[in-house]
Amino acid sequence: MMEKNHYRWMLVPALLFLLLFIYIPVARGAVMAFQHYNLFDLSTLRFNGLDNFKAVITDKNISFAQILLNTVVWLFGSLIFQFVLGFGLALLLRKPFAGRGLYTAFVFYGWALSGFAIGLTWAWLFNGQAGLVNDLLIRIGILKQPIGFLSNPRLAMMSVIIPNIWYGVPFFGIMLLAALQSVPNELYEAAVLDGAGSVRKFVSVTVPYIKPTIVSTILLRTMWIVNFPDLIYAMTNGGPVNRTNILATQMINKVFKEYDYGQGSAIGVIIMVLLFVYAILYLKIVEDSKEELL
Amino acid sequence: MKNRITVLFVLVLVLLLLSPVFAAGTKEAAGPVNLTFVETITSPSRTAQIMELIAKYEARNPNVKINLVSPPYEQSDNKLTLMLNSNQELDIIEVRDHTVKQFVNNKKLVDLTPYLAAWDEGDDLLPLTIAAANTVDDTPYLLPQFFYVKGLFVRTDVLAKYGFTTMPKTTDELYAMSKAITGKDRNQYGFGFRGKGSSFKISDILILSDVPNISADNIYQTEDGRFAFSTPEARKAVAAYVDLYKHAVPSDGVNWGFSEQVNAFISGSTPFLVQDPDTVGMVADALDPELYTVIPMPIGASGKTYLDYGFAGLGIPTTSKHPDLAWDFISFMINAENNADFCKVYGPLPVHTSTYANDPFFSSGVYKSWETEMSDPDNYVFVKYPLDSPKYPGWAQVQEQTMQSLLLGNTTVDQAIKSWEDYWK
Repeated sequence: MMEKNHYRWMLVPALLFLLLFIYIPVARGAVMAFQHYNLFDLSTLRFNGLDNFKAVITDKNISFAQILLNTVVWLFGSLIFQFVLGFGLALLLRKPFAGRGLYTAFVFYGWALSGFAIGLTWAWLFNGQAGLVNDLLIRIGILKQPIGFLSNPRLAMMSVIIPNIWYGVPFFGIMLLAALQSVPNELYEAAVLDGAGSVRKFVSVTVPYIKPTIVSTILLRTMWIVNFPDLIYAMTNGGPVNRTNILATQMINKVFKEYDYGQGSAIGVIIMVLLFVYAILYLKIVEDSKEELL
Repeated sequence: MKNRITVLFVLVLVLLLLSPVFAAGTKEAAGPVNLTFVETITSPSRTAQIMELIAKYEARNPNVKINLVSPPYEQSDNKLTLMLNSNQELDIIEVRDHTVKQFVNNKKLVDLTPYLAAWDEGDDLLPLTIAAANTVDDTPYLLPQFFYVKGLFVRTDVLAKYGFTTMPKTTDELYAMSKAITGKDRNQYGFGFRGKGSSFKISDILILSDVPNISADNIYQTEDGRFAFSTPEARKAVAAYVDLYKHAVPSDGVNWGFSEQVNAFISGSTPFLVQDPDTVGMVADALDPELYTVIPMPIGASGKTYLDYGFAGLGIPTTSKHPDLAWDFISFMINAENNADFCKVYGPLPVHTSTYANDPFFSSGVYKSWETEMSDPDNYVFVKYPLDSPKYPGWAQVQEQTMQSLLLGNTTVDQAIKSWEDYWK
């Protein structure tokens, strides 16, 4: 009995920390979503029911449907390429070769940079006047005149997704490489004895073995991509014509530009609910597919 | 036994967490008085300049120590707002034209009337300085330190290359010259466009200067109470502005912020740039003085140009325990001599009458243009953005997105004007 209590006590500092720095702020944010909470004039602070949600969803100038669509394109456009390229990278780096350590460090370096700094750099690369990308494409002969990657509504989303892919590949690379290195060689040897080729080995040994890592990294990345406004904020500020505005950038606009913490929190709550539903569905699908396999 | 150790451990932890609270209570003993000063227009060179002035002040007042807090520019206004609203003890804060109303609404600023009345340099302030100080409720809640007024930066070498020897005096001339210079195959354009990040501060001045009777209190209203953009003159001017974008600006301009704008001017690809005087330093670092100049803003079809005077200054928060000392520091920072020295390095316009009279720096060279703008009220009329309106903070994003939509041909001039009118209704 004593022993049990002892361990419970040991949990207190950690729980206090979580409560203070995560749960209380989240609860506070959720409450704000139902308040008229504008720093412009705090004397007008009051509960206003669902007004913030209504205002955000029915905004005539900044279409909410467009923002939702942008968020979905931004998420999957980034996630799929990050995963596929990251997985490829991990497979390439699994086998030892001369200078692998140094090469790995270089490849993963991008993951250590700040999103805002990456955004500013890529904004210059994609600059429609003096940008390096335009310059290269013109020199190679693909383009005759520079194009506005960030000012053309049809190209802007692609142009912010590309740096996000560049940024996210190392994450999958690191995590999947670690998982790949934990696959016991005996399994591959056994598979070879059973006559498996390299594709078969990959599908029947590698993937099932590292599946828990794949499942959890994809879920983690999803949440991070949805909550990652830095790049877009630095590159296009949600423009042109709202085409790269995602939920997270609109939330920043509401809070930092308009001082409207109520509407900002409402968007935060919407993001939270959407991600929650997504996580449940995603895990359910993963569970179901496991049963099918068995 | 073990249980006691854990209880003890938790107790120690709690005490550790609370220690700053106790420490704060005991610190108020002898020694110099600490004043906390929060700047908001943070940039490395400007912060260095402030540090120099602080050192000068501290050398003269050994009993005072100034702690400068410099939040990164992008978050500085917000950070300061949060500090004020959590009632942190601050003594001097940098207040801007777009934050003063909010701070006063939330009762965060001390009324400076008694201090200003007793100040020996109070009579030396420009009428504009007094007006800016009294922006909210006709009460001086801040002492302005800098003015930002738009001027037209011109690359004289580029104009000469295309055979232009005169400078544009009207917006029509500016637009016509910009288009004449433009040759897309040569990668040469005319106008340094601003498409994002408070783009209205440039577009709306150019557009509304065609309207004859803009109200001095609100640039978006006419003197007879109409929405300024709904006038036929403004409608035409919006169309002309879109035409300028189509024929004198790289298509990328729709996504240009401050740095792209300045970069295009320095590279010479757009020889005209509308900017504030704090851009002078950046341009001067990159270009030889004979390659560029600054001229007064072009006159609109109304025969006038409406200019807004952006300003920033210092105020004393109501949480300060040493308001008298804080004022002493403010009156040192913004005395005529220090204010002029600061402005010479940092760029904006100083706030004292005597500075313009005695210091040729601010009435010669590129500053001549701003002197003209500030001393010719027939041609250059100073107006205000509706800083008082709770809708003002959201305007930048709405204007940016609807204007981009108009520029890219997704909406018509009438639709854009309608959306602006609906927004301000």
